[in-house]
Formats: sequence, structure tokens, C-alpha cells
Amino acid sequence: MPTNASNQSLIRMEGLTKVFYTDEVETHALSGVHLEIRAGEYLSIAGPSGCGKSTLLSILGLLDSPTDGTYLLKEKPVQGLDMAERARIRNREIGFIFQSFNLIGDLTVFENVELPLTYRGTKSAERTKKANEALEKVGMAHRARHLPSQLSGGQQQRVAVARALVGDPMMLLADEPTGNLDSKNGDAVMELLRGLHRGGATICMVTHDPRFARHADRTVHLFDGRVVEETMEVVS
Amino acid sequence: MKSLWQDLRYGFRMLVQNPGFTAVAVLTLGLGIGANTAIFSVVNAVLLKPLSYANAERLTMAWENNLAKGWSSFAVSPANFLDWQKQNHVFDPLVAFLNSGFVLTGQGEPEMLSGMQTTDGFFRLTGVEPALGRAFRGEEFEAGKNRVVILSHALWQRRFEGSPEVLDKAVTFSGESYTVLGVMPKGYRIPQGADLLAPLTLTPDMLSHRGSHYLVAMGRLKPGVTLQQAQSEMSGIATALAKQYPNTNTGWNANLVPLYEEIVGEVRPALLALFAAVGFVLLIACGNVTNLLLARGASRQKEIALRAALGAGRIRIIRQLLTESMLLALAGGAIALLVGQWGVELLRALQPANLPRMQELGISSSVLLFTFALSLVTGLVFGSAPALLISRSSLSETLKEGGRGSGSGGRHRLKGALVIAQVALSLVLLVGAGLQIRSFLHLMEVDPGFDSTNVLTMGVSLPDTKYTDAERQTAFIQQALENLKALPGVKSAAAVSTVPLGDSDLIYSLVVEGRTVPKGQEPSANWYSVSPDYFQTLRIALVRGRVFTEHDDSTAKRVAVINESLARRIFPGEDPIGRQIRMGINSQAVREIVGIVKDVKHYALESRFTMQMYEPYRQQTRDSMVFLLRTDTDPASLTSAARRAIFSLDKEQPVSEARTLEELVSASASQRRFNTLLIGFFAVVALVLAAVGIYGVVAYSVAQRTHEIGVRMALGAQKRDVFSLVLRQGMVLVVTGVILGLAGAMALTRLISQLLFNVSALDAATFLSTPLLLAAVALLACYLPARRASRVDPMVALRYE
Ligand SMILES: Nc1ncnc2c1ncn2[C@@H]1O[C@H](COP(=O)(O)OP(=O)(O)OP(=O)(O)O)[C@@H](O)[C@H]1O
Ligand SMILES: [Mg+2]
Repeated sequence: MPTNASNQSLIRMEGLTKVFYTDEVETHALSGVHLEIRAGEYLSIAGPSGCGKSTLLSILGLLDSPTDGTYLLKEKPVQGLDMAERARIRNREIGFIFQSFNLIGDLTVFENVELPLTYRGTKSAERTKKANEALEKVGMAHRARHLPSQLSGGQQQRVAVARALVGDPMMLLADEPTGNLDSKNGDAVMELLRGLHRGGATICMVTHDPRFARHADRTVHLFDGRVVEETMEVVS
Repeated sequence: MKSLWQDLRYGFRMLVQNPGFTAVAVLTLGLGIGANTAIFSVVNAVLLKPLSYANAERLTMAWENNLAKGWSSFAVSPANFLDWQKQNHVFDPLVAFLNSGFVLTGQGEPEMLSGMQTTDGFFRLTGVEPALGRAFRGEEFEAGKNRVVILSHALWQRRFEGSPEVLDKAVTFSGESYTVLGVMPKGYRIPQGADLLAPLTLTPDMLSHRGSHYLVAMGRLKPGVTLQQAQSEMSGIATALAKQYPNTNTGWNANLVPLYEEIVGEVRPALLALFAAVGFVLLIACGNVTNLLLARGASRQKEIALRAALGAGRIRIIRQLLTESMLLALAGGAIALLVGQWGVELLRALQPANLPRMQELGISSSVLLFTFALSLVTGLVFGSAPALLISRSSLSETLKEGGRGSGSGGRHRLKGALVIAQVALSLVLLVGAGLQIRSFLHLMEVDPGFDSTNVLTMGVSLPDTKYTDAERQTAFIQQALENLKALPGVKSAAAVSTVPLGDSDLIYSLVVEGRTVPKGQEPSANWYSVSPDYFQTLRIALVRGRVFTEHDDSTAKRVAVINESLARRIFPGEDPIGRQIRMGINSQAVREIVGIVKDVKHYALESRFTMQMYEPYRQQTRDSMVFLLRTDTDPASLTSAARRAIFSLDKEQPVSEARTLEELVSASASQRRFNTLLIGFFAVVALVLAAVGIYGVVAYSVAQRTHEIGVRMALGAQKRDVFSLVLRQGMVLVVTGVILGLAGAMALTRLISQLLFNVSALDAATFLSTPLLLAAVALLACYLPARRASRVDPMVALRYE
């Protein structure tokens, strides 16, 4: 049994489809996806290139909307939320970790980390405290004043993780977080996510690498926009 | 040499391949340089072109001055002139001028011509000779032999069909027969634009009034004599004359002013201010082109890196980029010539009334040369920074993958600096224009002290050959007034000795009976001879006492009306009514003050209120008078009826062009209107260019930062967060520019303080409102890209570049 699993369903998707229309070509990126994620769960999503992993993640993260189907977040339907409401949820409930780190080059490490807090109007003193804590957690506190360009890739991704978790989101979403890293740095980031999961975080991660997928409680395999298989990892 | 040719060919191809970029850049430059071409052509015609006289730098005006009374350049009295002429060793020759009317009769409708009478030496002074016929001979300046004239080319063409037979023929002026000796060359302008030249004979009567100043004197400095030497000799002569004739000459000195200074001195500050303004406009335009080059440079990185990889040195790459800039600048210069030509025509159409030498305005070879040189300089100004930056980054950055390092940082800083500079420059212009506009508005609000609506003016100059004495003159005026009053639509009619707002006044010394004042310290006041209805017609309010009536004629006791300024300054704490005064130092006629009226701006709208005194025209008339008609309706509609009413008295008496008093008010503001219009126009152009610059930089940055903005939105930034992020980025630059611009304006407006009217060079309202206007426009320029940014799809965060 997964250690962190609870019965509370954080996310429920039913019959979710996503169709992209470009130049009169329809791409069915997702066709009828059912997915449930419980609080505290560590889920990994796997599948061949172009099968719809990123699309699923962006819908999960409210960056994009499904073409059809239902998406309940904490039992509440997400359809019909306006842009401002969606931005608010992205800001408070979701932490993104991107494959290409996506740190903002003009901002220091510290400023990058506190950014999500600024968008929710947190007071400066508390922002400083939380950002420092988050940097502490990923072991990057000593680089707070540096610019991203002065860090290695692995360090940048650790900063990105700190930025994702600084606002205590309900769930971390990571799209191939190690894709741009060498294996040593990749391992370190994965270790970091694992640690966070042990601390109670809900994580949903896309990865190609079966070694990392094993860290997850459960792996969802996508093929051609459909969930074809779910595997559970028994964590020792 | 061959490689230069290559650079040119390649540069040309680059420009043709990017028609949009090229068009925008060339048009911007064309407008910027063209505005400079137009204003330079004015500066060239007015300030730079040598005067069209031989050795013009030695031509010098010789004025009298009386500093105690605040008169720095005053007309010369005939007796003083004669003494100057006899005693000086510095001028050869020294010539006096007197502008006087010549009525051409016996050839259809009489016409009032403007004649320039000169003493002997005019042709030696100016170095010009008649194109046809001959100059005056010495004996023709003697009384009785002086009925000769030399015509301007234009008059000759207009009234004498350009026929050479006019020479030695008799022409009638005011009933007297004159001989035409010659015709001046085509294009030659007689001083004051007069129609003809005539000898000036200083009569014994003229020479007996040493205190009457009405001649204009000009001399040519002898070779080797400096202005300072001449000035000190003339001052010596004047000082001696003051000792010799204390009654009339105490306090008077001589003041020499080089002719060039005399002509352009007054307009130079305004012209230079305009020249600076267009310079600013061009700099702002350069900023925009630099920005375009930087933006394009980013997309040319690959091409440049390739050149570097193929072995082109940095110098070579810089040269290539500069060549392209020069091509752009020269294309802009070509457009500029069109714009400049168009601008020159526009300036001519605006007809700046008081701008001298405007007839010489045009695109001359020096204007062409200026435009060419300015284009090259402009190319360097906008092209060098991008060339340096783009060539530098190409060597280090592009080969590294994903390089968004210091090279583009330098570019960002340069763009920011450009926006700041553009904002600062345009603010300086806006403040300058704001001060001018406020000056103009103040001038429009000036209460001249009379009511200018529905008043028609027209003048007559009665020839003394026909109207030989005061009695005949007053009879004519009186009869004319009666005829005019009888016209339907005329409420009242009056006459005055000088036209209101005509830039001319007669000044007399004022002697109060029973007071003794040291010689030369008698106060002076403007003097007007008026008909009884004058005050009523112009609605000049009576303060105390009475105005003139029909009974104040030559048989009655002599009376005078004074204005409040005179009453206050000459009779402080006393009642002027009933006091006796004399006008003119040697005048024996005593007048009694019977009334006090409000102050009037008679000389010009911008002049200050001065002391004024009035006399009834039937007690002291003038041979030239101006009629004023107050009408029920549009005064211009009465023009022909009024002219007929005067012609019916004397068919040989010309009447000067009728003008409404409102036209005169407007003409009195025309120079200021011209300056205000131009600087206002340039300020608007600057504002638009700066706004385009701000928009360009902010929009470009938004385009560059799309991914970053997507990331921010993925992290939960609201639309308004992104919106204000972009706005803030732009407005930080704007505010910095505004602060610098305000500092610059504070330093620079001092220089134009003499061009302002009733407005301080640090006028708070202007210094507050123009930054607000600029900020509002800048906000608008930032608004569009900010809105675009706030609509970025957060999904772009997931795409990698
Ligand atoms: N914006 C879009 N417009 C059109 N088609 C899209 C868009 N985004 C994704 N697709 C298509 O949808 C399908 C799923 O894409 P998605 O990015 O989700 O794949 P993925 O599983 O993440 O692949 P990879 O492992 O390569 O990242 C693909 O066929 C893709 O071409
Ligand atoms: Mg993907």
C-alpha cells in the first residue's frame, strides 16, 4: 500500500478529451481519459512521444481546457471558471516544474522563488521567510542572490522546484523535470521530489525514464490519448 | 575601394529586401531631416546669407539713444545728423533716410506710394546703381532742383509697363511734376520695401528743430575703422553737441548698430530656438531608427555570425552595417529635400510678418549642402551604436547556443537609454512650446484698453502742396468725418494721428507749467491728435473730467486729455485737471488738462502701458490721419462705401488700404503666432515620435518576453499583474526621461525667456501640465503592448524556444 495515499480524491477526470484544430487538421491529443488522483499520491505518467502526456498535464494544471469531459478539482468542476479564477488556482493550488526550468533570467534566484507569493499579495516579510525556507529545502539558499544564468542546469531545476513548492500548493506538476539534465543532476532532482512526497506532497510527474517512474506510487500509461494501463509500485 | 563597392551593393540589397523596415526608417529620417532643411533654409536666408550689399559688414546704423528714458535706438534729428556728417571721420558716407508718401496722380486712380528719401551718398553707401538711367547728382539735393525720383523695378513694371521711355519724363506726385532719373535693378529691394527713391533735402525749417527726431541714418565704416573706434568718435561728437545744445541734447548720445544686427538681431533668438527644436525632433527620430536597427540586428544575428565565421573582421562588419545606415540616411535626405521644399512653401504661406529677408527664402545650394551633410551625420548618429553592439555580440554570443547574455543586455540598456533620451528631449520641446502657447494666450487676453470689434480703419496722407495749412487739413478731416458718419451702418467715426497697434507712436517731451526740471530730464509721453468722437468710437473710458467736443477748435482755449499712467506718474497725489502743460521742449503753446482717460496699448499689444496725451485735431492737426469707423455689422463690408465717401471730397487723394481693427490686433500678434505655431507643431511631432519610440521598445520587449510572460501566468500571475509589469517597465523609462527632461527644460527655458510674454521661464502650470501630457501619451503607447502581454496564453510556458 502506498504510504501517503489517503481516500480523499483530489482530482477526478472523466471522459476527458482534447482536440487541437490546426489548418483543418484535427489532432485528438486526449480521447476519453479517466483519471483520479488522491491527496498525497505520487503519480507518474508515461507513454510514447506525442501520446498526450503534456496535454494532460497542462489541463491538470489549468493552463489549458479540455474539449470535452469533466474535471473535478477537490470535488468542484473546473469548467466555467473564468481566467482570473483559473490564475488564482494555478497560483495557490498548483506548483509547476518544467522540463526547461523556465526561471526568469532577469530575476535572482530568490526573486524567482518568491514570485508566486507576490502574485497572491503575500507581505514582504513572509515572502522572504517562505522563499528562504523553500530554498533551504532544495539546498539552494546559498545561491539566493545569483542569477539563473550563473547556475548549472541541476541547480536551476532545484530552484524551479523551490519556486513550485514555495506557496504550499495542493499538488506539484512536473513535465519531464529531468529531461534537460544529465543523469547525476537528474537523480538529485528526483531525490528531491521523493523527499517532498515523503513529506506529504501530492506529485504528478511526466517521465520517460522507467527508473524514475518507479519512485511513484502509481504509473499511468498513455497511448494515443488513452490510458492503457496503470501500474502500482510497491514501495518498500 | 572594391570592398566598399561590395558593401554598398550588399547594403542596397538588404534595404530592398526589407521594404517595410526601409520605408519606415527612410520616412522617419525624411521627416526629421526635412524639418531641419526647412528651418535651416530660414536660418540661412535670414541669419547666414550675407546681406546683398558690397562690403555689407561695414554698413552701420547710426541711432541716437537716450538711456535715461530707456530708448536705445532712436531716430536722429536733422540738425544732429548734419553735425554728425560734418564732424565724423569714420564714415564714408553717412546717409540719412526719411520714409515719406508719394501720391501718384494724373494716371487714373491716385495711388499712395512709399518713397525713400535719402541724402547724398545712397549709391555709394549701398554699392548699387540704377539698372536703367542714372543716380542722383549732387546738385539734385538742393532745394528747387530735387523734384527727381528713381523707381523700383517692381513699380516701373506695374505702373509704367516697364517702358524705358519713362526716363526723363515728367511724373506727377501730389500735383507736382517730378523727373524719373532711373530704375533700380530687378530684385533689388529699396530699404523698407519702398517704391521709389528721392533726394532728401534738409531744409532750414527742419534744421531748426534739433529736438525732433525722425531721420534714420546709416553709414559705411571707412576701411580700417572698427566699430568700437567709430562708436567712441560718434559718442564724442554727441557729447560735445549735448554741451553745445543743452536744451535739446542733454541725455542724448549716439548708438552704432551693425546693419546685420539691426536686421536680424530681434528675430535671431526665436529662429535659433526653432532651429534647436527641429534638432531635437531629428534626434528623437534618430532614436526610433536606432531602435529599428537594433530590433533588426537581433534577427540578423545568424547572417552576421556567418560573416564572422567566414573571416570578416569586426571592423569589416561594422563598416558593412554603417554603410547600410548611410544608405538609409541618404535616402532619408532625398525625402528630406521634398519635405523641406514643402515646408518652405508652408512657411511662406504662413507669412511671418516681421521676419526680415524672407523673400530670399528657398532651397539654395547651401541648403542642399546642409541637408547632405546633416544626412551623413544623422547616419552616423543612429547607425554607430547598433553597428558596434551587433558586431560585438556576433563574435561571442551567437555561436553559443541559447545565448541571451550580455550582448542582448547591452542592447536592452541602449533601448532603455534611447527611450529615456527621447522622452527627455520631447519634454524639453513640450515645455518650450507650452511656454510659447501660454505667452500667446496671454497676449490674446491682453486688454488693449479699447474695443476692437466692428471698427474699420483707413488712412489719408494729405500732401502739403495741396493742403498747405492746418486750416485746409482740418477742413478736409472734418468734412470726411461728416461724410463717414452719414454712411448707413456707421455708428460713429473718428480720426487719430497714428493707427492703433501700428508699431509707431509719436513721442513728445512734456513740460508742466510752474515746475522746473533739469535739462534733458523732462518726461516724455506718446502724443495723439484726435477728433472729439475718438474716445467714444474706440470705447476708451473717461475716468474724470471731460473729453473733447466740437467746440475745442483753433479759436478756443487749448486743451489736452491725459491717460491714467501720465496722471499717476506726473501728478502723484495731485489733481491734474486744470493744470497747464506744454508738449515739446520748445513749444510755447500751453494746454490745459481737461480730462483723464484709461490707458491704451496704442503701439503694440506686447508693449507696456505708457504715458499718453491727446489733443483735439482742430488745435493741433497732422497731415496724415487715420479714420476709425464703428459699425453695426461686419466693418469690412463698409470698405468701398467709406473709400467713396473720402474720394468724393478729393479725387486725387489716395486712401490707404482699409483694415479692421481686429486685423490690426491679429497682425500685432502675428510674429508670436508664427513662432508658437511652429514650435507647437515641432513639439507635437516630437511627442508622436517619442510615443512611437516608447511603443516600439515596449512592444518589442513584450514580443521577446512572451515566454517569460507565459511562465509568469503559469505561476498564477493575473492579467493585471502582467499588464502592470509591462506598463511599469515602460513607465520607469518614461518617468526617468521626464525627470531628466524637466531638469533640461529648467536649464534651457532660461535661454528663451526673452521670447516669452507675461510667462516666467519656470512657469509652474507649464512645468506641471506638459509632463502630465507626455505621461498620458506614453501610457497610451505602453497600453497596447501591455494589453497584448496580458493576453499571452500561459501554455507558451510549456513550449521551449
Ligand atoms: N497546441 C497544439 N496544437 C496542435 N496540436 C498539438 C498542440 N499541442 C499538442 N498537440 C498535439 O497533440 C498530441 C499530444 O501532444 P503532447 O505534447 O501532449 O505529447 P507528449 O506526450 O507530451 O509528447 P512528448 O513526449 O514528445 O513530450 C501531439 O500529436 C501533438 O502534436
Ligand atoms: Mg511532452
